[in-house]
Amino acid sequence: MRLKGRHWIAAWLVAFLATTWVVYARQTAAIRAARELAEIRARRANLEGRRADLERRIRRAESRAVLVPLAQSRLGLHLPSDSEIILLPGPTSGSGSH
Amino acid sequence: MARLAVRLQVVEIAVGLGLVLLVARAAEVQLLQGRRWAEEAQAQRTERIVLAARRGALLDRHGTPLALTQETYHVGVAPNELRDPVKDGALIARRLALSARAWSQALRRRYAYFAGPFSALEVQPLRNVRGVHFEPVLNRFYPAPEMAHATIGRLGDDGRGASGLEKTLDSLLAGRPGAAVVLKDRAGREYESPARVIAQPESGLDVVLTLDAELQEIAQRALDEALRRMDADGGDVVMLDPATGEVLALASHQRDGTARPSAFTDTFEPGSIAKIFAAAALLSLGRVAPVDRVSGEGGTYRMKGRPTPVTDEEPLPLLTLADAIRVSSNIAMVKFVARLAPAEQYGVLRDFGFGAPTGIEFPAEAAGRLRPPSEWTRPSAASLAMGYELSVTPIQVAAAYGALANDGLLLAPSLIREVRSPGGAVLYRHRVEPVRRVVRPEVAAALRDLLRGVVERGTGTEAALSTFPVAAKTGTARRVVNGRYAPGQYTASFAALFPADHPQLVLVVKIDNPHKGSYFAAQTAAPVTRSMLEQALAARTVALDRARLSTAAPRATVAPLEDDGGVVPYVVPWPYHPDSAAPGPARPVPDVTGMEMRAAVRALHRRGFRVALKGWGAAEHTWPAAGDSAALGSTVTLFAVAPRPDAVPPATPPRKPRR
Repeated sequence: MRLKGRHWIAAWLVAFLATTWVVYARQTAAIRAARELAEIRARRANLEGRRADLERRIRRAESRAVLVPLAQSRLGLHLPSDSEIILLPGPTSGSGSH
Repeated sequence: MARLAVRLQVVEIAVGLGLVLLVARAAEVQLLQGRRWAEEAQAQRTERIVLAARRGALLDRHGTPLALTQETYHVGVAPNELRDPVKDGALIARRLALSARAWSQALRRRYAYFAGPFSALEVQPLRNVRGVHFEPVLNRFYPAPEMAHATIGRLGDDGRGASGLEKTLDSLLAGRPGAAVVLKDRAGREYESPARVIAQPESGLDVVLTLDAELQEIAQRALDEALRRMDADGGDVVMLDPATGEVLALASHQRDGTARPSAFTDTFEPGSIAKIFAAAALLSLGRVAPVDRVSGEGGTYRMKGRPTPVTDEEPLPLLTLADAIRVSSNIAMVKFVARLAPAEQYGVLRDFGFGAPTGIEFPAEAAGRLRPPSEWTRPSAASLAMGYELSVTPIQVAAAYGALANDGLLLAPSLIREVRSPGGAVLYRHRVEPVRRVVRPEVAAALRDLLRGVVERGTGTEAALSTFPVAAKTGTARRVVNGRYAPGQYTASFAALFPADHPQLVLVVKIDNPHKGSYFAAQTAAPVTRSMLEQALAARTVALDRARLSTAAPRATVAPLEDDGGVVPYVVPWPYHPDSAAPGPARPVPDVTGMEMRAAVRALHRRGFRVALKGWGAAEHTWPAAGDSAALGSTVTLFAVAPRPDAVPPATPPRKPRR
């Protein structure tokens, strides 16, 4: 059966629409994926920022500049002199030292 | 009719010519100029962007981050896109810390750009606000900005290392940027579409430094406090592990607040801390015997060719070399070094590394100055013996004292411990780099004894600890400003080895021009050293081998042998007397052969020995062997074998290892 002119036109139109739909669908999926990727990146950056901020605050809280005055004022502690420091010898690894 | 035909032909020809021209132009555009137009179109619709590489981190020796790379943002606001300019505007202004005036100015523009950079936490609430656009940018972040600032350095505006280790290690840290292509519209705005990545960015390498964050903080705080108390112009502290040459802490502080790495870059005349190197030359060349004495000259000694006399603050009538170091006698040292040829004196100073950069991984290290003997004047030898006519950096002094601690072997100091890939694989690990043997081990030990005398009975008693012996030398030298000795200005310095036996730490403290109180190192730099040592001993993570410290120090208060209360005596003597660091008296190792392990260990402990076990079961033999003498507190290795009831007794007794 030979296709008539209008059938050809219809076939070409269908092919064009199908191709357009495929391109559109791919673009949409890509844009959606890009958005999700951007959101994940933003979340990661946010978490990294939060971690860095917490690390900075922990470092600050652990620093001698903060700890020593607090320990002195609240707990009445002081930096030990060397005669107040006792070093206990630990077991030697592997040798079974006692 | 004919005229109409002619007209039609003319029109046809004109149309034909037009079509031909059109086709020709199309052919020209497509075929001849096609590449250029295609490129231009691509340039208009696409943009090649650089994907920044994440810069590697700088970590301390325990993995504490000192410099990190973090994603931050530039923020753009399009006021006409805001849904609720009042409400959104208030949020934006609050998050970006904008004043009311700055925000009202921004609202008048079509597109307001705020460079920031703003952290992810700051911009997080703005992510869903329409009209706010983010431009991510990688930024350097220093969790403790003041920590080792001058050593670590900073980045320049171009994102490359501009100073300090950031500069030295830039090629390792920078990584390699990638590239991608993005689509954009006519106005140049990027389409919301995935970028086509041409090359992925390669992150930079992480570098683990030798610095110990806790020691660094101790050094910085002690130095800052000392400079404030003494109203000094500036100062430096260097801490170094003599066994590896690794720099553990580096603190520099100037009164003007500049973060200058003066421990590497600023030279000074070391004064009396250099006397030990003259002593090294004398001892290694055998020019002085322990009993040799020279006169103290009543504290004033005139030399030929020297316009001003050599003086001592508190003269002794007669001095040995040990006395000369202990009380830091200029006169005695000048007299002793007269026994050296200039080339010998120069050679030993040169061997200790003076007059040449140490080679540490820092971009601007000063070499100092040590003139060759051909440039010396008549009093040069005497001046060098007292630490003048010589300029050094604190890091050179630390490395040289490290050689004394390290049995005479000079090591290259280092700031880099490891280089790791972004995945954590170790690509480089620092190895000890011996430069040369400067003095023999027995000479180094003798020099350490001289330094020990300084702290126990000499000018360095302010640095003495009651639990561990310290070896050190004080130095107070006139200060050179603009090439001349500044009247009334001094540099106080102190170089110490801790502990004196098997040193684990070299400390150099330098204080420039203290104004308040004494300017002598004995009263300025020595107490700072003591304070830092006490804090280092009490710190949790400081890179000190406490096992070695605890075993090196004590002479155990051993329980009486008859006392068998089942309690293991020792192990921590406290309070500890410094002299007890000397090896205890020897005593015979008891015979524990055949005893159960527990009983054997207890017997050895009761005798005052430490015990290391090899094997399990009944005691077979010991090393040192039963009956041999061993120092009190030393380790006896106990070899044990599991009893085997079915085993045939050996034909010959097991061979006992000999000492």
